[in-house]
Amino acid sequence: MRPRFDRGDRVVVLELGKSGHVRTPFYIRGRVGTVIHRCGSFLNPEDLAVGIVAGPVVPLYRVGFFMNALWPDYVGNPSDMLYIEIYDHWLAMADNFSAAA
Amino acid sequence: MTRGYHDIGGNDAGSIPMVELPWLHWEKQVEAIRNLLGDGTRRMLSLDEMRRGFESFGEDKYKALSFYRRRLEAMIDILVEKDVFSRADLEREIAAVRARWEPRAECKT
Repeated sequence: MRPRFDRGDRVVVLELGKSGHVRTPFYIRGRVGTVIHRCGSFLNPEDLAVGIVAGPVVPLYRVGFFMNALWPDYVGNPSDMLYIEIYDHWLAMADNFSAAA
Repeated sequence: MTRGYHDIGGNDAGSIPMVELPWLHWEKQVEAIRNLLGDGTRRMLSLDEMRRGFESFGEDKYKALSFYRRRLEAMIDILVEKDVFSRADLEREIAAVRARWEPRAECKT
């Protein structure tokens, strides 16, 4: 799978509604962030969690979110960001997704 | 929206106790065994499989156990699920090791 996103892209985290083990925490879903960089491609932890080790690999991105956008009562520096690694299938381009973001 | 009971990021949780807890020997053993089970030559249990294990405990059991106890119990669940050993095998082995290590009743004062 080729990476669909690159540094600087504005992305929105999807709510995939998947049960089982996922690495995308609840608090980040539906939020808009910016791709900081590509991290490479890795076996999907959702597959590994049920013993599927045959792949395919999935691109992973480090995505930045402004802290004061995530937490309304955040009192730190307004430029502070939370960086979190998110797999490709949990993301969509934010600009094509403005209604839900 | 799907949210696991373990997925508590962002919830109110009160103040954080800033206390350094000791890293107990058995806890290090749990982590060492997990690393060996998941390494490139064995691949008997992945980190994500173990996580799936304790994320399937149910909330009460999850909250009742410590960090390393969760990991230990989840590893047992997954290894039993994958037929690496059975619960009976495990119980038998625990009894044998306990018999080796625990002092006999007559030794107690």
